[in-house]
Amino acid sequence: MTGINRRTFLGISAGLGVAGLTGCGSSIGAAAASGDGHTVKVGLVIPQAGVYTPLGVDIQRGWDLWLRQHDGRLGGRRVTTVVADEGEGPQTGVPAVQKLLQNDRVDVLVGIVSSATALGVRDLVTSARRLLVIANAGAGAITGTNRSPYIWRTSFTNAQVAAAMGRHLAESGVRRVYAIAPDYVAGTEAIKGFSNAYRAGGGTIVGQSQPPFGKTQDYQPFLSRIQSSGAQGTFCFFGGAESVAFVKQYAQFGLSRTIPLYASGFLVEGGVLSAQGQAADGVLSTLHYTSELDNPANTAFGQAFRSAYDATPTAYAVQAWDAAEVLSRAVAQAGAVDGDSLAAALGSVGVLTDSPRGPWSFVQQSPRQNFYLRRVRTRAGAPVNSVVEDLGPLDPES
Amino acid sequence: MPTTQIAVTAMVNGLAIGLLLFITAAGLSLIFGMMDVLNLAHGALFLTGAYLAWWIGGEQQTWPSLARAVVAVVVLGAAAGGLLSLLTAPLSRRSHLEQALLTLGIALVAADILSALFGDDVRATEPPAGLDGTVTIAGWSYPSYRLALVGIAALLAAAVYWTVERTSLGALFRATVSDRDMVATVGVDPRLVRGGVFVLGSVLATLAGLLGAPIYHARPGLDTTILVLALVVVVVGGLGSIRGPLIAALLFGQVESVGRAVLPGLASFLLFGTLAAVLVVRPRGLFTLAPGGRR
Repeated sequence: MTGINRRTFLGISAGLGVAGLTGCGSSIGAAAASGDGHTVKVGLVIPQAGVYTPLGVDIQRGWDLWLRQHDGRLGGRRVTTVVADEGEGPQTGVPAVQKLLQNDRVDVLVGIVSSATALGVRDLVTSARRLLVIANAGAGAITGTNRSPYIWRTSFTNAQVAAAMGRHLAESGVRRVYAIAPDYVAGTEAIKGFSNAYRAGGGTIVGQSQPPFGKTQDYQPFLSRIQSSGAQGTFCFFGGAESVAFVKQYAQFGLSRTIPLYASGFLVEGGVLSAQGQAADGVLSTLHYTSELDNPANTAFGQAFRSAYDATPTAYAVQAWDAAEVLSRAVAQAGAVDGDSLAAALGSVGVLTDSPRGPWSFVQQSPRQNFYLRRVRTRAGAPVNSVVEDLGPLDPES
Repeated sequence: MPTTQIAVTAMVNGLAIGLLLFITAAGLSLIFGMMDVLNLAHGALFLTGAYLAWWIGGEQQTWPSLARAVVAVVVLGAAAGGLLSLLTAPLSRRSHLEQALLTLGIALVAADILSALFGDDVRATEPPAGLDGTVTIAGWSYPSYRLALVGIAALLAAAVYWTVERTSLGALFRATVSDRDMVATVGVDPRLVRGGVFVLGSVLATLAGLLGAPIYHARPGLDTTILVLALVVVVVGGLGSIRGPLIAALLFGQVESVGRAVLPGLASFLLFGTLAAVLVVRPRGLFTLAPGGRR
C-alpha cells in the first residue's frame, strides 16, 4: 500500500466536506414586478431537499390551504406562487432568494426555515425593497440586532419558546434542571432563553451540554452526565433526526423513568413524533401551537388540513397559514405590493384574533403570542401533543 | 451515579459503537485494500440496509421480520456489490479520482432514489421483543440492544477475520492482491474474485445498516455521515488489512464515548483530532499491510 493511495483518500474525504459551496452576492435593482393592481407574485422559499424537507412540505401545505380557502387571492389580488428550493443552508438558500428576486421578479417572499439563510438574505431583500415574511427561522437576530424593516416573522424566536418552559418549570417547583441543546445558534438561544427565565423564577441549572450539531449520533456520554448531575428534570431542544435519536436514547438508557424530559416544543412536533414512538410518551413541551388546541379557528383549520392532506397539522403549517393571513390584510390595506407599503401596513395590522394558534400580534416584527404546555399522549393509536395548560403570552424578546 | 458506573457505561458503549463501526468500515477497507477501488457508495449501502430494516420490520421489529430483513439486506447487498464490481471494472486501470467520481455519482443517485422511495422523514425502528428494553444491573441501566450488539458484531467481526485470513477463499482474495496474473494462470478468473470481494464488502455494509438502524435511524444524510466515519476508520487503521480497521474502530468507539464523557467541551474535535494525531505519528495508519505485491 503506498502513500499516494492514502493521500488520494484524504483528499477526497476533505473534498466531500466542502462540496457544494457556491458563490453568491450581488446587488439587485428594485425593478417593478407586477404593478397592475390585480395580481401579486409570491416567492415561496422552502426546503425541498435535505433534512428540513418535512418542514418545507408543511409550510407549503399551510400556504396552499389558505389560498385555496380564499379564492387564490391575497387582499383581493390574484396570487401567483413561485416555489424555490431553500435546501439545507445559506449556500443553497441565498441563491434561491436571489433567483426569485432577479429572474422571477416576485413582489413578496414567504418562507425560510433556516436562520442562517434568513440572516444571509437580509441585505438582498433590503436592497431590493421587497417584503420577506419568515415562516419559520427562529434566530433572535433576524428581527433583533440584525433587523431589516422589510423582514417580518410569523413564527417564533428560539428564546421565546424556551423561556415559556423556563418560567413554567420555575413556577411548578422543579428546582434543579440540566439543560442540553446542540451547539449551533438555535440550541444556544434555547438554552439561554430557558436559563434566563428559569433562574429569574428561582431555579438552578445544575449543568449544561451542547453536543456537536449534526455530528452527534450517540448521546450516551451526555446522558451519563445528566444522570450524575442530581437534576430533577432535563430541559432540551433538538430538531429533526437528532430529536428522534435523543428521545429514544433518553428512554433506552432508562433516564425517562427517573428524570422527566422537558422540551422546547420542536422536539416532538410533526413527523419526528411518530418516529419517536413510545419513547416520547409523556414528554412535556412548550410551543405556540398544537393540533389539539380547542378553539373555533383551529377546529376549522384542523378539519380542512386533515381532509386536504390526510395529515395532522403542525406549527410549521400554521406559521405559513398566518403568513398568508397577515399578507392578505397588508395588501388590502396598502393597496400596493412594494416592500415599503406592505411593511407599513404590517405595522398596523393589530391583533389577529382568528389564528389557529390563538390571538397574536406583532411586537418588533415578530409575534407576541400565547404558549401552551403540551404533553405527548396516544390518541386513537397516534401520538399527539395534548394541551395541559395555556401559559399565557410572551414577547419575542424573552 | 458513581464514577465507576459512568466509566463502565462509557466503555461498554464505546465497545458497542466501535464494533458496529468496524462492521461498517471493514467492507470499505476490503474493497479498497484488495481491489484498489475507493467505493464512496459505501455509505449509501449502509443507509439502504437501515431503510430495509424499517421497511420490512416497521417501527417495531419482530423476530420473523428481523429474519426476513437479514435475508433481504444480504440479497440486496450482494446484488449491489455485483453491480458495483461491473460498473467499476472498466475504470480499474484508471486513477483513484476517476473511480471515486463514479462511485460518488452512484452514491448521489442512490441517495435520491432512497429519498424518493422512503421519504424525507426519520424512519426509526425498534429491535424485536427482548432486545428493545433496558437492562438494569445493580442500578446500572443500559439498553439491551446495545449489549446484544456487542455479541453480534463481535461474532461477525470474527467471521470476517477468519474468512479473509484463514480460509482458502481468503487466500484467493489475498493472492489476487499480490499477483493477479498468477491467479489467472492457475485457472481462477480474477474478475470473479473481484466480484466476490465487492459482494462481501457490500453485504457487510448493508448488514451494518440493518444492525445500526435502531441506533442511527434511517434518514436522508445518514449515508454521508457514515461514509466519513468509515473513511476515518480505514485511514487510521491502515488500508487493506482487517486487523487495522478493527483496532481503529474500537479506538474511535472509545474516543466518541469515553472521550466525550471526559472532555465534553472538545466533543466536536475529538474524532478528527484523533485522526490528525494518528496521521502525524503514523502517516500510514496504525496497521498498514506490508506491501507484499506490486502496487
